[in-house]
Amino acid sequence: MMELNLFLDFINNSIKEINTDIEKLYSNKYNNMRKTLDHLNSEVMMLDNYINHFSTSNQLRINDTPEQYKIAFAQQAQPVVNGTKTFTLEELAKYNGKNGNPAYVAVNGVVYDVTNNAAWAAATHFGLSAGYDLTNQFASCHAGANILSMLPKVGTLI
Amino acid sequence: MPEKIMINPVTRISGFMEIEADIANNYVVDSKTKGLMFRGFEKMLLGRSPFDAVYFTQRICGICSTAHSMASTLALENAMNFVPSEQGRYLRDIIHGCEFLQNHLRHFYQYTIPDFVKLPEEYPLFKVDHKDYRLPKNLNDKMVKDYFESLSISRSAHQMLAILGGKAPHNHGVFIGGITSQATIDKIISLKSILDDIEKFINEIMIPDVYEIANYYSEYYHIGRGYGNLLSYGCFNNYQDLGTLYVNPLVYSNNTITVFNPDEITQENEYAYYDNKNEPDIQKPQAYSWIKAPRYNNVPYEVGPLARQWLSGNYRHGISVMDRTIARVLEAGKIASIIKVLIQNLIPGVSVQQEYSIPEKSAGRGLIDTTRGALGHWLSIDNSKIAFYQIITPSAWNLSTQTGNIKGTAEQAIIGSPVKDINAPVEIGRIIRSFDPCVSCATHVYTDGKLINSFQVV
Amino acid sequence: MIGLSWEDLRCPYQGNRSKTTASLVDRVKDDIANRRLQKKNLVWLELNGCSGNIISLLNGQNPDFQYLITQMTNFIYSNSLITAEGSNAIDQLFSVVGSDYILAVEGAVSQKEGGVYNIIGKKNGKAVTGLEAINKLGENASYVIAVGACAAHGGVSAARPNPTECVGVQNILKRKVIKLPGCPCHPDWFMGTLAYILLYGEPPLDNRDRPLLFYSTTIHDRCPRRSYFDRGIFASKLGEETCMFKMGCRGPVTPIDCPVRQWNGHVNWPIGDDSPCIGCAQFGFPDAMEPFISYNITRGG
Repeated sequence: MMELNLFLDFINNSIKEINTDIEKLYSNKYNNMRKTLDHLNSEVMMLDNYINHFSTSNQLRINDTPEQYKIAFAQQAQPVVNGTKTFTLEELAKYNGKNGNPAYVAVNGVVYDVTNNAAWAAATHFGLSAGYDLTNQFASCHAGANILSMLPKVGTLI
Repeated sequence: MPEKIMINPVTRISGFMEIEADIANNYVVDSKTKGLMFRGFEKMLLGRSPFDAVYFTQRICGICSTAHSMASTLALENAMNFVPSEQGRYLRDIIHGCEFLQNHLRHFYQYTIPDFVKLPEEYPLFKVDHKDYRLPKNLNDKMVKDYFESLSISRSAHQMLAILGGKAPHNHGVFIGGITSQATIDKIISLKSILDDIEKFINEIMIPDVYEIANYYSEYYHIGRGYGNLLSYGCFNNYQDLGTLYVNPLVYSNNTITVFNPDEITQENEYAYYDNKNEPDIQKPQAYSWIKAPRYNNVPYEVGPLARQWLSGNYRHGISVMDRTIARVLEAGKIASIIKVLIQNLIPGVSVQQEYSIPEKSAGRGLIDTTRGALGHWLSIDNSKIAFYQIITPSAWNLSTQTGNIKGTAEQAIIGSPVKDINAPVEIGRIIRSFDPCVSCATHVYTDGKLINSFQVV
Repeated sequence: MIGLSWEDLRCPYQGNRSKTTASLVDRVKDDIANRRLQKKNLVWLELNGCSGNIISLLNGQNPDFQYLITQMTNFIYSNSLITAEGSNAIDQLFSVVGSDYILAVEGAVSQKEGGVYNIIGKKNGKAVTGLEAINKLGENASYVIAVGACAAHGGVSAARPNPTECVGVQNILKRKVIKLPGCPCHPDWFMGTLAYILLYGEPPLDNRDRPLLFYSTTIHDRCPRRSYFDRGIFASKLGEETCMFKMGCRGPVTPIDCPVRQWNGHVNWPIGDDSPCIGCAQFGFPDAMEPFISYNITRGG
């Protein structure tokens, strides 16, 4: 069971990190903007994981996180390794967007949530289905395009 | 020694066709009707979602796409054991009726009229290639005017279709349960208004026009009879409260009308380009067409407006080129009046859609008479995907190849026809067009498996 | 004002403008008098398809088919509409070779076994395949317009497993082909493209040779139901007035003007009919746009 104090420590650290990132962005140091945004992104993810971990280990209900970074409630809690949810290919296959499961796809080892992504109507996209590792397909179609950074991340593929 | 002529392409039909005819002493002594295009829809459908078949199969044909959405939907409802509400049936049948109107208007004016009416040759499309034009100038000029006026009428039939069906060709509205949208009062009054114009045109212009042509080409009442066997799967029939508005599943042969039995349908391919595994085989020695040979009780049958008008008792003047053409025009009027009845029985704003699920494993068939005649879709579902899909179109019945020594329906109709001028054999094109051929519909492969026999006709 | 003429009193800009207008009108008059401005020849070639695009063309309104053949073009050939038949018809088709003509093609090119799965006629006793016809007529046309999905990229004729090895027209021809994907092609998309060609030449095209005039913006970005999508209000069955994203709507991936142009004289369109867009005007239709209708798709929280 995660102690309240430990939890609050984690939160505070995350907030410090996030504030540093925001300062960097304000300072117009654009040559590091991408890196800063990536870092910001993973900090928010970590924060979310802490909240999940704390609430599940204390059997509390969690509230929905705001719009774009919603991580839909999976039917089984995914294993958390180093603060990130992990998925095997077999586990990923469940997330095909049907029967109450959200729609996840994996590209380059990262698992993304496309449940509400406009290009993924009916959890499908140009003949591809959610629940799969689509690294090769992504590379052959969208290589170089600024798409992945816009997608909500939910974990990593193991 | 008969002289062989080939007409290729047969124009003013849907798709590509060649007719071969052997002429001796100015009569046709033998004939072959050949479908010249193939795409393989039944193979394409395998593995797809059954719901998608309703949209996919429409692409078999651009002038009768609604027909396929109807048969596909009926086959699915059969496989799902789903019975649509009467309101759903009315709505769907109105869309179907609109397709009839569009087709018959275009078939008569754009496809048939140029055989008998000289259109202005200053437009290269209308350059004539024979001399058998008999209408006096004033009548010919009137028909030209009607040809062009009909464009807006047939267009408005598709507009009517789109009001309930979303768009035409290739509508979105026809689906399990009936149609997707609701017929609100504003749509209903719009339908009624357009239908009024169409009906007026049919009664005041189209029907008189066909009879005028019949006057000047009356020998065509005695050309192109063929076997005289007529068949219909029924359409606009079996409503709970309205009964049968048009025709039930019936068969006419040897002066007798009997009830149609779907289990008696077979399909041969002896002279069609398919091997004994039903794979396309363009090298097959005696084959001459992509169109197979559907048979009922092993006999070739004719389907279409004449069959329906005859079997419903509306028109029994005769079986010939001219009778077929007149029956099609009369049927346009009949369909217009049927649509009127259906509209009158609509309850505005009713939604007939539900959440549907595909059965894991099932089979079904949808048989319906449509613009060109009897259309059937048979499907089986396995693992919730299409495992088998078979389509027998009206044009397969009419443009069938021979089996053994038994000629196909249209082939038999062409045989025995006079050909006044072997260098301008106008009779042959006129005979084949009276069947309203659609070759894009007629050519398919069917995959392993027999026709499914054990289901109710919906 | 003695000694001043009317010309002297006019504003200099006005003078220039009148001269420009006059010179344009004079040029047009000269062109017509010297027969340099003429109706262009148009050939409509049907290949392996459903012939739905010529039917759709007949649904055109302002301009309609009559206007097309009387005012806009010398319409030379259409398998569905031409009076002549047999060898007379096929001769008329090939008579355009060597002249200045626009080629409109619908249906895909079937390549299997040299194209024998699609015979469009007989010339001098020998069968003419669709493949041969597009080769003979395509390279020398002043413009080639691929009308509909099948001609534009293979479409339904090329649907998996593509039994007759169908491809779009551009796969066969080396020269540029203007593409109007759609199933069928809306009559306005064709008429508008043709009108642009007749008046100005090649229209501005996107990187896949589709006229920007019609294909610039996705359906999603102009959809009347967009506010439902943005608020996450989704239909779970057909026949509802809300966003059909969860039913499988391909509006987000289909750039075409259906929401504003609509169909059949602007009476309705697929989404207006409470059914999802199936992406018929996008490359990859139908395989890449399936499934068309889905139920039980998860709504994100």
